[in-house]
Amino acid sequence: MSHDQTASAKHEPSSDALVQVRGLRTRIGDKVIFDGLDLDVPRGSVTAVMGPSGTGKTTLLRHLTGQLRPDAGSVRVDGEEVAKLSRRALFALRERIGFLFQNSALLTDFSVFENVAFPLRQHAKLPEELLRDIVLTKLQAVGLRGAAGLMPSELSGGMARRVALARAIVFDPMLILYDEPFVGLDPIALNQVLRLIRTLNRTLGITSILVAHELAAIRQVADRVYLIANGKLVAQGAPDELAHQNSPWTRQFFGGEADGPVPFHYPAPDYATELGFAGRAQ
Amino acid sequence: MNANLRRHWLLQGIVSLGECGIFFVAVLGALPKSLRYWRELCRQVWFVGAMSLVIVMVCGLFVGMVLALQLYYTLSIFGGTAALGTVVALSLFRELGPVVTALLVAGRAGTAVTAEIGLMRATDQLDAMSMMAVDPLAYVASPRFLAGVIAMPLLECVFNAMGIFGGHLVGVSWLGLDNGTFWGNMTSTVTLHGDVLDGLYKSIVFGGVVSLIAVFQGYTAPPTSEGVAYSTTRTVVFSSIVILAFDFVMTAFMT
Repeated sequence: MSHDQTASAKHEPSSDALVQVRGLRTRIGDKVIFDGLDLDVPRGSVTAVMGPSGTGKTTLLRHLTGQLRPDAGSVRVDGEEVAKLSRRALFALRERIGFLFQNSALLTDFSVFENVAFPLRQHAKLPEELLRDIVLTKLQAVGLRGAAGLMPSELSGGMARRVALARAIVFDPMLILYDEPFVGLDPIALNQVLRLIRTLNRTLGITSILVAHELAAIRQVADRVYLIANGKLVAQGAPDELAHQNSPWTRQFFGGEADGPVPFHYPAPDYATELGFAGRAQ
Repeated sequence: MNANLRRHWLLQGIVSLGECGIFFVAVLGALPKSLRYWRELCRQVWFVGAMSLVIVMVCGLFVGMVLALQLYYTLSIFGGTAALGTVVALSLFRELGPVVTALLVAGRAGTAVTAEIGLMRATDQLDAMSMMAVDPLAYVASPRFLAGVIAMPLLECVFNAMGIFGGHLVGVSWLGLDNGTFWGNMTSTVTLHGDVLDGLYKSIVFGGVVSLIAVFQGYTAPPTSEGVAYSTTRTVVFSSIVILAFDFVMTAFMT
């Protein structure tokens, strides 16, 4: 895809989009993270957001949950302009969103069971027996029912991620945001997590947004992929379709090439000059 | 250059003070909501109060014993050793009880609170709570603040009791002062309103100040191991300075 074709990656606004991002501009310190980002996430879809490291994928999730406010542009979730919500309205919106943190973010003073039960205890006055059943169901779904009594410090990284996933889905939210959900999972757990994401999507119609780098996993689970680079949406499409697009962005990203529109090296002075070799040949 | 640096340092201090003030208002605003989390409040009162009992009791005992020894020596010069119980009690109730208890709590519980909240920040636990629509100010900050305000005067009472017991041990059991004189002079001179309650008021204020500094430092700690370490140190340093400064101001108004 040429740069002209890249421009065609801009989408038409969708009336059935659960998430709508328009002209998003964000600057953190001196670094421009987003420079007019537009994207839609259709209701009931599994959407993957990909891109080089440091391109702002996690920042995008933080915009969707109101943890960050944009410098310009709008972010709408379920029709609500996130940045303009009052604290109370924002918390009401967050009750309908599940978030899987990159580092799990389990509450270290609580057991696995209590971590998963935490949102239920705070927002739903359920009988203890029902609460127990819900928590055990979610733990069973991630294969950790037997670990309910363990403390977070006793879990491996992959197990902690699965507990965090159980916590993110405990309320059966309308939208789940997964930040690097596949990191640290062994092939069996990975397969089960993929199946779980797909099942939640098909049976409950839960919309999912995944930030991930694992193309093979994304091919199995995602309906649509957005590729973000240099603060903009540079390509979008179905995973298989995108992997075979002949755009410089997709070729470099999916081919893992060092040379291309995304620089592998962080901006630095000339290498030879810095090592003191410049001018020695003379 | 130095003037610029100093101005910068001063500005930084003023900005931090302003942020702490805003944080204080936010914590107070979250207090009614935090009462929903009464279990967490009980846990924090247990942590700040009950877990500090040993250090407060031991220190109170030794402070009382040292006071009795020093004052016995001084009073004996003027032939006034009969007033030992009174002077020990007054020193403890009016000054040493509230101040030393606050310094001990700042060192033991304040640092732990800062480190705990700082690590919660560094490991995204506060963000996770916020994402689960649970206000971390109401769930984490306010209960810890309130726990300090509740626990400090209770600990001060224990400190004073142990101090008087230590003074009695030295004055009566060791130095041979008359038991009746020790207690009689003390109870006839020390007043509830002028001495005991003044000390308690100080303790309540110190409890609030120490908790606020500890919670604020933890909440605003940079999410790195070094950041948490610096914030923990700042809790002790700032708490100690503010306790002594507030003690002077409150004493000036109370006497």
